[in-house]
Amino acid sequence: MPSSQAPPAGATALDPTAVRPDIADARILRVTSDDVRSTLEGLRGDGFTMLLDLGAVDYLERQPARFDVVYHLLRLPDHAAGVEEIGTPERVRVLCGVRADATVVPTVSDLWASADWAEREVFDLFGITFAGHPDLRRIQMPDDWEGHPLRKDYPLRGVARERTPRPSFALKSNVAAGTPAAGRTAAGLQKQIAEVRRQADGLKTDDGTTR
Amino acid sequence: MSVGGGPAAVALDVIEQSEGRMVLSMGPQHPSTHGVLQVITEIQGETVRKASPEIGYLHTGIEKSAENLFWSQASTVIERMDYLSPLTNALCYYLAVEKLLGIDATIPPRAQAVRVLLAELSRIASHCVWLGTGGIDLGALTGFFYCFDLRERILDLFEASGGARMHPNYIRVGGLAQDLPHGFLAKLDGVIAMYEPRMRDVRRLLQKNPILQDRMIDVGIISADEAVNWGLTGPCLRAAGIAYDVRRAFPYSGYENYTFDVITRTESDAYARFLVRLDEMDEAMRIVRQVRKVLDEPGPVQSPDTKFSPPPKETIALSMEALIHHFKLVSESFRVPPGDVYAAVEGPRGELGYYVVSNGDNRPWRVRTRPPSMYNLQVLKKIAVGELIADMVVMIGSLDPVFGEVDR
Repeated sequence: MPSSQAPPAGATALDPTAVRPDIADARILRVTSDDVRSTLEGLRGDGFTMLLDLGAVDYLERQPARFDVVYHLLRLPDHAAGVEEIGTPERVRVLCGVRADATVVPTVSDLWASADWAEREVFDLFGITFAGHPDLRRIQMPDDWEGHPLRKDYPLRGVARERTPRPSFALKSNVAAGTPAAGRTAAGLQKQIAEVRRQADGLKTDDGTTR
Repeated sequence: MSVGGGPAAVALDVIEQSEGRMVLSMGPQHPSTHGVLQVITEIQGETVRKASPEIGYLHTGIEKSAENLFWSQASTVIERMDYLSPLTNALCYYLAVEKLLGIDATIPPRAQAVRVLLAELSRIASHCVWLGTGGIDLGALTGFFYCFDLRERILDLFEASGGARMHPNYIRVGGLAQDLPHGFLAKLDGVIAMYEPRMRDVRRLLQKNPILQDRMIDVGIISADEAVNWGLTGPCLRAAGIAYDVRRAFPYSGYENYTFDVITRTESDAYARFLVRLDEMDEAMRIVRQVRKVLDEPGPVQSPDTKFSPPPKETIALSMEALIHHFKLVSESFRVPPGDVYAAVEGPRGELGYYVVSNGDNRPWRVRTRPPSMYNLQVLKKIAVGELIADMVVMIGSLDPVFGEVDR
């Protein structure tokens, strides 16, 4: 089933972040995958001790960078601190463009421990690899899944997979395999049960015990 | 005892060869995992040497589904992420959408007060589940019934507000679906009146219980700098002494108008997290009482801009504009200007955030959740090492994960 997510006509040069309205939610930095690591290292040293979230967005037809990997950072003290000391901590959002033909970004899981699962999730759902991640494998989808579901060219209901043949129910029941549908009616089943009972009676010895 | 050459001997051989270590899979159907969590633990004797939580058993692709729904429909699936406090999810999502629309300053005060009321009641209801089931994990069965009874009364209020106990879908862009129904405030007064004696009972049952204290004190300790490094938020972070609360640091929906304390402790063990949550319930009730005072004043609960919110029913037959807006809203929803925004609220588990991207269409281009449970749960890898296998249950309970949110 095709996805209904095709971008609307006229939105091919799609980059909503370029026309962003004036919303004061964070300081925004735009970087490429070459300098994302040095930028984030700098921010870590500058006191952005918490990596709140790491996610990704697929802009499908945007050139040259199809994806954005989005880092949300927060400047928090790394020791016990009261409300006054924390105040309104500064937020930074780092948007890292990733090209469709080179979906590799350096890992930051050594800078922030919280990046571990977040990077695995982006890898799982977007197919973006994090170079240097110690344990990069799928986290939400099954290990043998094909494709990356949050990509925009992945259909909403998934691609058809070959179904594992299931063992026939008939083999497990009293109904012999290959019994035509008519034999599976209640009357047919009762007939078969009676037959099984008759055979079992035939196995009994004179004192009633089973042979 | 001689075990001969059977499987037991093979198992003993394997354990001996691996220096007494063995691998034990806990879950995904273990009753203490509060859902579907598998923890692959490497144990030596009874001591955990390594713990690897495996998640994803409840992955339902909610973020993908939301991209394929209208802006107003997406909250239906979004409420199903953290199913213990659905209103908090919807509130955060709509705060992000309202910021993108540029109407975040036009939400009527009464709508904001009701949002705060329901968010705080959600916090109490969610903590009731954590407290009740967390007690059961440690063998304290009685507390469960006291907590769930209180939660039921709160869910009755949700049912009165939006029509459903768990997923009321009551919040809308620009305000609320409708005003609070007749009789709601009387019910609310009933909950407020029962809260204090009930919590006194619960505290006497659980907080001072020497068995519970023995199980929780000094279990699952994490230092303040590690807690920040692992991205902990909410009660888990505040139990480490860092008073970061989104309601205080980045006030939304008028939280700056209410008096409440940010509860912190410094021990940072399972018992500290337990106490922080208990005290937070009292603070939430303190906010509820303050909101209750302003609810006697009637007022609008929807932004008057009918481009986003349905026009009043009585105007539809009289005004062409109203009819057009109603038709457009029902048939194709509203459009949101292009842009991206991050909005955060203080959920019961910590900072719940939504990073929402719009390309100008009537459906969100991307809805990314910052799930506090997932980041809190991840720290199990760190805190479980060196603890007893029996304390694993305590540690999972003290992190309070909700798997609808962890796996989404």
